[in-house]
Amino acid sequence: MSMASVNSTAAAAATPVAPGTPKRPGTLSRLLREPVAAVSLIVAVLLILAAALAPVLAPTDPFDNDLASAMTVPGAPGLLLGADSQGRDMITRLLYGLRATLLMGGASVLLGGVAGAIIGFASAYYRRIDGLLMRLMDVLLSFPAILFGLAIAAIFGPGIPAVILALSVATVPLMARIVRGNALVVMRQDYIEAARATGMGDGRLILRHLAPNCLSPIFVFATLRFGQVILLGSALSFLGLGAQPPVAELGAMASEGRSFLFFAPHIAVLPCVVIFVVVLTFNLLGDALRDALDPRLRV
Amino acid sequence: MSALLEVDGLAKHYPVKKGLLLQKQVGAVRAVDGVSFTLNRGETLALVGESGCGKSTTARLVLRLIEPSAGRIRFDGQDVTKVDGGAMRALRRRMQIVFQDPYASLNPRLTVGDAIAEPMAVHGIGNEASRRAKVQELLALVGLRPFHADRYPHEFSGGQRQRIGIARALAVEPDLVVCDEPVSALDVSIQAQVVNLMKDLQARLGLSYLFIAHDLAVVKHMADRIAVMYLGAVMEVGEKRALFARPRHPYTRALLAAIPHPDPSRRGRVTPLGGDVPSPMAVPPGCRFHTRCPFAQDRCRSEVPALRDLQGQQVACHFAESLPDPGLDYSGGLTEAAAKRLALYDAARRKAAA
Repeated sequence: MSMASVNSTAAAAATPVAPGTPKRPGTLSRLLREPVAAVSLIVAVLLILAAALAPVLAPTDPFDNDLASAMTVPGAPGLLLGADSQGRDMITRLLYGLRATLLMGGASVLLGGVAGAIIGFASAYYRRIDGLLMRLMDVLLSFPAILFGLAIAAIFGPGIPAVILALSVATVPLMARIVRGNALVVMRQDYIEAARATGMGDGRLILRHLAPNCLSPIFVFATLRFGQVILLGSALSFLGLGAQPPVAELGAMASEGRSFLFFAPHIAVLPCVVIFVVVLTFNLLGDALRDALDPRLRV
Repeated sequence: MSALLEVDGLAKHYPVKKGLLLQKQVGAVRAVDGVSFTLNRGETLALVGESGCGKSTTARLVLRLIEPSAGRIRFDGQDVTKVDGGAMRALRRRMQIVFQDPYASLNPRLTVGDAIAEPMAVHGIGNEASRRAKVQELLALVGLRPFHADRYPHEFSGGQRQRIGIARALAVEPDLVVCDEPVSALDVSIQAQVVNLMKDLQARLGLSYLFIAHDLAVVKHMADRIAVMYLGAVMEVGEKRALFARPRHPYTRALLAAIPHPDPSRRGRVTPLGGDVPSPMAVPPGCRFHTRCPFAQDRCRSEVPALRDLQGQQVACHFAESLPDPGLDYSGGLTEAAAKRLALYDAARRKAAA
C-alpha cells in the first residue's frame, strides 16, 4: 500500500481541527482560572509569608508580657487584637503561633505522607514484601497518635520536633494503606503492562506511570490529614507534650484561652479562627490542585 | 520462510492454595497447558478459541510479562525463557504488544507524543529532537495528525486510541507485534480501518503478528495461519483457507459450525456442542475435549492425542482421518452480517488504494 492510501484513511479519522492549535494553558494558569482556587492559592501564599516573616511583621516580642494589659479586649489602642492572659500582644502571638502550626502540620504531613506513599507503592509493586510491610503498618495503625506523642516525648523530650515526629509516624500507615489500595487498581491497567513490555526499569515505571495516576487520593488524604494533624498537635500541646509555654502555637493558645472563655473569649476564639482559615484554605487548595493536575479535567 | 517465534510445550499453572497460615497447594489452574506453535517472519498467526482458553495468557507468556511454568519460547533462535537483564531488554525492543481495550492501554496522564516516544527513550534510541520527529512520522503512519502529539488520550475516540497504541508499539521498530484482540472493543466501521491499517503496516514494515481473536470474521481477513485453542492447549493448526475449508478437529468443526448461518436448511444438521468448558483446575484426562466431543471413544478418555501432521494441517485428535464428513460448507459459513463486514473491509481497502 502506498503512503497516499494511509493518508486518506488518516484524513477520514482525524478530527477536523486546524493544524497548529494553540498550546493549552499550563497547570498554574488553569489553577488561577478557578476563582475559588485562585483565592485559596493567594490566601495560602499570604499565610505562609506571614508565618515566615513573623519576626519582621510582629509588633512586639512574643514573650513580652505586660500584666497590666492582661486580657485586654480587641480594639484597644496599640493592641488591635487585644492581649492574652499574660498581657502579650495577640497579633504577635498569632503570627508566631501560625508559624509553629504550619511548620508542625506541613512537616508531619509531608514526612509521613512521603514515607507512607513510598511504602504503599513498594507494597503494591513488589508483592513479595507486601505482607510484611502491611503487617508493620497494621502495628503502627494500632497505636493512637497521642500514644506515639507520649512515647516520643518521653525519649526526646517534649517540643515541636517531638510532635512532628509522632504525627509523621502516625500518618505513615494511613497514607501507605491508601496509596497501596489505589496503586493495586492502577497496576491492573493495560498501560502498566505496556510499559513493562517496553522493558523499562521499575523506578521509571513507578514514577511515570504508577504514581501520577494515584495522585488524586494522595492529595485528598494529605489535605484532610493536614487539618487532623493540626488538631492532634494542639491536643498534644494541651497534654504538655507539644509546644511548651511560653512558645506560641495555635492549638496551645486555644487551649490556654479555654480557661478565660467567659471573661476574654478572644484569647481562645482568635487562634481557632486562624486554624479554621488555615485548614479551609489548604483543603480548597488541595482540591483545586488535584483537579488542575488531572489532564482529563482540562478544557 | 524462516521461523521468528517457536513455542514449544509452553505452560502456565497457577497454584491454588488453601488455608490461612499453612497454605497448602490443593491444585492448579492450568491456564496454558503445553502449547506449541511456530510463527514465521512476515506472517500472521491467529490464536482463536473461546473465552478463558488461554489465548491472552499465551500472549503474555510469549512477551514474558508473566513467567512460564514450563516450556520453551525461541525468538529468532534465542531462548526467551533463559535470558535476563540487558539481553531481555534488547529482546523486548523487538517484540511489542497492542491491547484489546484502547481506553485502558494509554496512560491518561501522558500526552500522546510522550507515550509514543517513551519506548524509544527507554531503549536509548535517538535524542529528544529525533524522537519528536519520529513521533510525527509514526502519527502519520497510523493516520493521525502531527498536532495530536500534544493531546491527552481522553481527547480521542476508541479507534484513534487504538491507532496511538499501534504507533507506540511500532516506535521501537519491532519484528513481532502481539495483538491481544486489537479490534474487539471497536465499532465495526472502525474495526475495518484498524484491521486494514494493521495489514498495510505489515506489508510495509515486514511485521509478524501473533493475532489473538475470537471474532472469526476478523481472523479470516487478517490471518495467514490459524491455531485453535481449547482449555489451554492447541487443538489444530492450519493454513487459513485449508482450515476453514476442511476443519480436521471436532472442536474446530464445532467452532466453525457455531457461526450463525443464513441458510435455514442447515438447521437440524448442525448439532451444537453440549455441556460447558470444564474447569482449567480439573482438566479431563486423555483428550481434554472428550467430555464434549460427539465422536469420543474409550481411547480418547485415557490417551492424550499428540499434535500431528495431517495433509499440511496439524491436528490433536486420534480419529482425525476417520471422522464422518458433516457435509457442511464452512467457507461460506459466515453470517450475512459478517460477510457484509468482510465486504466492508475490502471496500475500505479499495477506496484507500484508489
